[in-house]
Amino acid sequence: MRQVAGLISTYSSDEFGICSALYELGGMVVMHDASGCNSTYTTHDEPRWYDMDSMIYISAISEMEAIMGDDEKLIRDLTETALEMKPKFVAVVGAPIPYMIGTDLPAIAAITEQETGIPCMGFAANGMNYYTKGVSMALEAIVRRFCTGPAVRTENLSVNILGATPLDFSLNGSVDSIKDWIRENGMDLGACLSMGSTLEDIAGAGRAHVNLVVSYGGLAAARYLKKQYGIPYVVGVPFGEKFPAMLAKMLKEAASSGKDLVSYRPVGKNQAPPGTDSQNSEDHLAGDRINGRHTGKDADKTRISIIGESIFSASLAAAIELDCGIPTRVLCPLDTEDILLRECDLRTPEEDDLMKYLPETKIIVGDPMYRVLCGKDQRFCPLPHEAFSGRIYDPVNPNLINRKLAK
Amino acid sequence: MKKIAIYGKGGIGKSTIVSNLSAALTERGLRVMQIGCDPKADSTLSLRHGEPLPTILETVRQKKDAFSLEEITCSGYGGVICAEAGGPIPGLGCAGRGIITALEKLAVKGAYETFQPDVVFYDVLGDVVCGGFSMPMRSGYAEKVLIVTSGENMSIYAAANIAMAIDNFKGRGYAGLGGLILNRRNVKDEEAKVQTLCGDIHTSIVGRIDRSDLVTEAETMKKTVMEAFPDSELAETFRRLAETIIF
Repeated sequence: MRQVAGLISTYSSDEFGICSALYELGGMVVMHDASGCNSTYTTHDEPRWYDMDSMIYISAISEMEAIMGDDEKLIRDLTETALEMKPKFVAVVGAPIPYMIGTDLPAIAAITEQETGIPCMGFAANGMNYYTKGVSMALEAIVRRFCTGPAVRTENLSVNILGATPLDFSLNGSVDSIKDWIRENGMDLGACLSMGSTLEDIAGAGRAHVNLVVSYGGLAAARYLKKQYGIPYVVGVPFGEKFPAMLAKMLKEAASSGKDLVSYRPVGKNQAPPGTDSQNSEDHLAGDRINGRHTGKDADKTRISIIGESIFSASLAAAIELDCGIPTRVLCPLDTEDILLRECDLRTPEEDDLMKYLPETKIIVGDPMYRVLCGKDQRFCPLPHEAFSGRIYDPVNPNLINRKLAK
Repeated sequence: MKKIAIYGKGGIGKSTIVSNLSAALTERGLRVMQIGCDPKADSTLSLRHGEPLPTILETVRQKKDAFSLEEITCSGYGGVICAEAGGPIPGLGCAGRGIITALEKLAVKGAYETFQPDVVFYDVLGDVVCGGFSMPMRSGYAEKVLIVTSGENMSIYAAANIAMAIDNFKGRGYAGLGGLILNRRNVKDEEAKVQTLCGDIHTSIVGRIDRSDLVTEAETMKKTVMEAFPDSELAETFRRLAETIIF
């Protein structure tokens, strides 16, 4: 059956992605939605809720307000609350009801900004897209609005991290480990969108030499920063023992050449957009090592399948292949682009797609809620994904950044 | 690129006027795109000689995102790029939401960048009855709204409502009111009644179109007046109106 999840959970929606991406930035996030059961935005999928303050509100739109198109009440509430709370910005986020009645949230944000003098942004979320799209919308909007500093580069090579949210990286220390790894490789850390950085840090993100895109949600912001500041980006997450060294090298290479790279794709196919002339570098050999097991007669012998977000999973697959020598492919049910996957990887938007491809594999790596799809003769390796199962598995969610992967 | 939304009471002649304006502008060497924003999907019918054109919404329903611009547009008379939003089955769904989705899809598919039209017309169903039908006048779409009206009371009420909606949207960066097109039905005191409306809503008449049987004759031929009767006085009227609103 199409568009039916009969056995597995569903991923967080775009609203959650926006809330997560903006959580630490000092803004006032208002979900324009009916009241009731809205704690999911801030509790079930938000591990920071109990330890870190953030202004997240629900507009509590009523049936009659929806029917009558009473935008004025929302504008009034936004204005009064913003003037009282004095947030650094206001984000008004759509949901199924405003989506269906065609509420113009960017226009409402513009009016609120005129009334309050506080930067306001409207997000046309609808609860029917994945969180990946929400993170993408939010991070792109934030850099467009607040990254206004000069395009003067820092002295030492500095790196922004784009696309880091607990929805993909949990609070298990992974993002801190990425930051440590950047420093250990002699590079400075710029801004991290969106964990551990302030709006002021983001304002200066245009000074970095290169951006590291760690999830699909960071790609649109990276492309904007490329266009606006000429900052190249490298796609990848430094999982495992050997892959981080390759990734660090690519960051330095991109900073020098200005070319955008997808770290886990073989050289020749790793530029975004595709096309490269560096056929003789060591990276070429590394790329062949990564993808070599999926070519020719061995293409049907994939032993590990990772289900998850494209950049996270493809980076992990590359790390497994380098560290353990086991052919690994990605099954991606979420928003992505072909350039963010390798040739052996597959887009699997439906549960049926997963059930079609999973029998071909020996080991399944994925959120514990995917275990139901694991056959009796297959091995399941749980890798909790906050955007799929919430905080249920937080205590057992491993940090795999820049360290040896368990067999 | 000039983007203009045409509103007015249902049946007042919007599609006929817009199609003729589109055809008239192509005579001046301009590239024109006409987007029908009506579930009936008949805005561009005379430009495409009655040939079928899949609507945007039906295409989205069947193919999700896996379709190209070529599948939802066609080149009509004079090279006018034709597109029809379409809508839900009558009596079901939400037509207003459909207009939003259709216009968003056109934008996402890169219609404006691909065709690079000099002029875009949004031919909108009747009144601004809900949020969806304000979409063509929102920021990023039309910069100017023209309202087609006659001197008939119902048409004048509809025009006043549309003007009120435009006024309500002040501060949102929406399109402004560019004037009225008087499509004469030869009712008593027609000019005076429409002039009174102009005073009430602080606008002016930008063009007057006389009632003519040529419109019906051209429709029967599945053509615009510009194509069927290019030497007629009515065709000349459309040329002058096109010049007034674009140049």
